[in-house]
Amino acid sequence: MYFVAHVHENECAKYNCKQCVLFCPEPNCLNYKESGHTAWVWTDRCKGCEICVYVCSDLLKRNCIEMVMVKAGD
Amino acid sequence: MGLEYVRISPGFEKYMPRDYVDLVKFGQFGREVDVMQLGQFKELVEEHPMCAGCYMAYFIRIFYAALPKPEDTIVLGTAGCARLALSQAAVPFIYGNYGDTNAVASGLKRALSIRFPDKDKDVVVIAGDGGLMDIGFGMTMHSWFRKEKFTTIMVDNEVYGNTGGQESGMSPKGVQLKMAPLGKKFEKINAVQLAIDSGCVYVAKISPTNPKRIAKVIRRAIFAARKFGPTFIHAYTSCNIEYSIPTREVLADARKREKEDFKFFEWMTDEVKEFLEEIERKEKEKKKQEVKS
Ligand SMILES: Cc1ncc(C[n+]2csc(CCOP(=O)(O)OP(=O)(O)O)c2C)c(N)n1
Ligand code: SF4
Ligand code: SF4
Ligand code: SF4
Ligand SMILES: [Mg+2]
Repeated sequence: MYFVAHVHENECAKYNCKQCVLFCPEPNCLNYKESGHTAWVWTDRCKGCEICVYVCSDLLKRNCIEMVMVKAGD
Repeated sequence: MGLEYVRISPGFEKYMPRDYVDLVKFGQFGREVDVMQLGQFKELVEEHPMCAGCYMAYFIRIFYAALPKPEDTIVLGTAGCARLALSQAAVPFIYGNYGDTNAVASGLKRALSIRFPDKDKDVVVIAGDGGLMDIGFGMTMHSWFRKEKFTTIMVDNEVYGNTGGQESGMSPKGVQLKMAPLGKKFEKINAVQLAIDSGCVYVAKISPTNPKRIAKVIRRAIFAARKFGPTFIHAYTSCNIEYSIPTREVLADARKREKEDFKFFEWMTDEVKEFLEEIERKEKEKKKQEVKS
């Protein structure tokens, strides 16, 4: 079991934002869907650092990203 | 090198790994991307084993997105954390012995200029503070004295991160590290001033708080090196492991350091300034045209 970031897409889509995507250290891990105007996490690539949570919650006060537990194979 | 080298031979697409096909179809080869498009194209760098929340890894991510011509670029690295990601990118990578990077890059750039006299082939060194300012110091300096035309990027985490926390010449005075328990006794080396005094034509110091600015600095350093001489970027790229920074606070730390000793700094010769202004003016015009059409 390990922690990964999860974007609440309905919440995120309210903002025309993309900031977390621009600050994640991992390549193609936090991505952006133009169609739904939302960020999304490629779970396999996420290392659980929470920098995106710092950006979304601490800096922007938007609280759209939550850390969740996943199991291998999820 | 070159686009032909990247292209998948007809009929072989279905046998190639998915990530490679994505790179060719949705990647940066042969087209320029803007860093603001990150998350919407296939990046050149792949998954790698650098630590969670490592901002050296972040800087490297932005570096690849900023490359003006990845298909005509060679990256050189050495022992240290950065190579863990540099070796996982779709850009030719040469692993110099520890400290050798700037000597290898000098020879490589000269050879490329002879082999491809009419083409821009970009050579970029990315190495740690230990690699460039301690063990590779002589070779770094002589590449600058000799005006070798390539870019050197120091990813400064102020420690030997890869070998478990020895102090480097770039560690701040007084800092206690695992293998410097009494605290460092000497000042941090002023690498930027050394670069200016030793012949670099473009020099910048930056903390990774603004991807657009990082990309701009990287492109400027690469463009200036093509024509005029050595260029140098000193980037603060924290090691959250050796400096015990909670990963969630890594960007906050970069912002804090930007207000202290890593204020954004840029210096260039007059001719470089003129040259870059001309390139950037043309780029803007091109973008305007694209928006119109
Ligand atoms: C000639 C030589 N001496 C020592 C080493 C061991 N070594 C590997 S990485 C490293 C330090 C790396 O520090 P730095 O260059 O700052 O990179 P970082 O890991 O901090 O990114 C050392 C001493 C080596 N590989 N080769
Ligand atoms: S920072 Fe928050 S609101 Fe902005 S794109 Fe990311 S998840 Fe959405
Ligand atoms: S937790 Fe870290 S690695 Fe995972 S998506 Fe957020 S910033 Fe990226
Ligand atoms: S040891 Fe430090 S510099 Fe190296 S990958 Fe880990 S956090 Fe990054
Ligand atoms: Mg280091």
